[in-house]
Amino acid sequence: MALHLNLLHEEILEQRQRQRDPLKIGMIALVGCGVLLFLYYTWNAYRTLEIKSRLTTIERAWKKIEPGVTAAQKRVADLEGVIKTTRALDDYIDNRFFWAPVLQKVSRCVAPNTQLTNFEGAVQDENREIDVSLEGIAAGREPRSVAEDLRQMLLEQFHQSYSDVKAEFKTLEDLDTIVNVAGTHMATAHYILTVNFNPAAMPKPGESPAATRARKQ
Amino acid sequence: MKVNKDQIKKLFLSTMGFIFLLYVYFSFFLGPLNRSRDGMLLEIKDLQSKLDASKEQMNKAVKLEQQAKTSTGRFAALKALNPEGAPIAWFPPRVRAFFANQQVDKVVARLEGSTGFKPTELTGWMKYSWIIDLPQADYGTLGRAIAELENTAPLLSITKLSIHTLPEQSQFQHVGLAAVNIIEKK
Repeated sequence: MALHLNLLHEEILEQRQRQRDPLKIGMIALVGCGVLLFLYYTWNAYRTLEIKSRLTTIERAWKKIEPGVTAAQKRVADLEGVIKTTRALDDYIDNRFFWAPVLQKVSRCVAPNTQLTNFEGAVQDENREIDVSLEGIAAGREPRSVAEDLRQMLLEQFHQSYSDVKAEFKTLEDLDTIVNVAGTHMATAHYILTVNFNPAAMPKPGESPAATRARKQ
Repeated sequence: MKVNKDQIKKLFLSTMGFIFLLYVYFSFFLGPLNRSRDGMLLEIKDLQSKLDASKEQMNKAVKLEQQAKTSTGRFAALKALNPEGAPIAWFPPRVRAFFANQQVDKVVARLEGSTGFKPTELTGWMKYSWIIDLPQADYGTLGRAIAELENTAPLLSITKLSIHTLPEQSQFQHVGLAAVNIIEKK
């Protein structure tokens, strides 16, 4: 067997130790990580730049149309305000109570032998109830029945247009005064009548809710 | 492989340095970059939604403009019912002239007070309460005059009406009206 002498044993060992130096390996790993981190950063920076250019484009587009949009928003708000106000005013106008028809109805009820001396009318509770007070003198053979006829007439007339109609005597008393109506002497009575009603018209008996709905449509 | 004390020290320092490097990288480089990117994405989303909504808004304005033609016309007509200036300056003469045209003379109108409206839609309008005194009117003429007033002045509503006969002139009555008129705030 041939004898093999390794005279460079120490040098080879030293070289191997140098190659396996943990510091060197660590440095290589560090540089590798650094390169990876740099590449990742560059990729992110590229994406960010791309997004920035997209943002600039959109900002430019928004700046172009923003004045128009602001004006449109203001106009919409104004128009909505006008529509709401007009609707509220129309509701107010439609819900007003009209006194002229009341005066007409009263004039239809007053016969020549009844005289009105005072008329007081007032709207109560936001047009939900109307109070009317009538004061006067009724003349006839039986003046109380003349006053009662007037009350009945008022009830009948007011029922045609209004609901919840009530007509009651507050006062009805005979007077000593005798008056001459169309050449006839008649006894007289003093009355105060109060009439209350709801201005909303009473639904007609034949009217069904379905029919009302169909008409509204 | 044997690691001597000096190498351990170097390795420890290198590890610390690596950790510090990572901290600097994430905190001062990648972190701000990501934050700025996220901020820009949010801004893009916000602007995009505004752009999408703007088209709807413009269309809505155009449609509303067409639909609101009646309302705007009516609103302008209602506003035009009351002239410029303080109501106390123009309302009494106007009422006097109106009743004079209806053959009712000596009419006096005075202001009782004014209040605002509770509903938000009518915050720009005021209710003015007036007392109108008609010392000499006959029932038939008064009825026609009130009908004309109620038909021609839609913003005016009569809240109280009193009619008394005049003892010395039985053909005439003394009439008092309480009326509310809606007038736009100037």
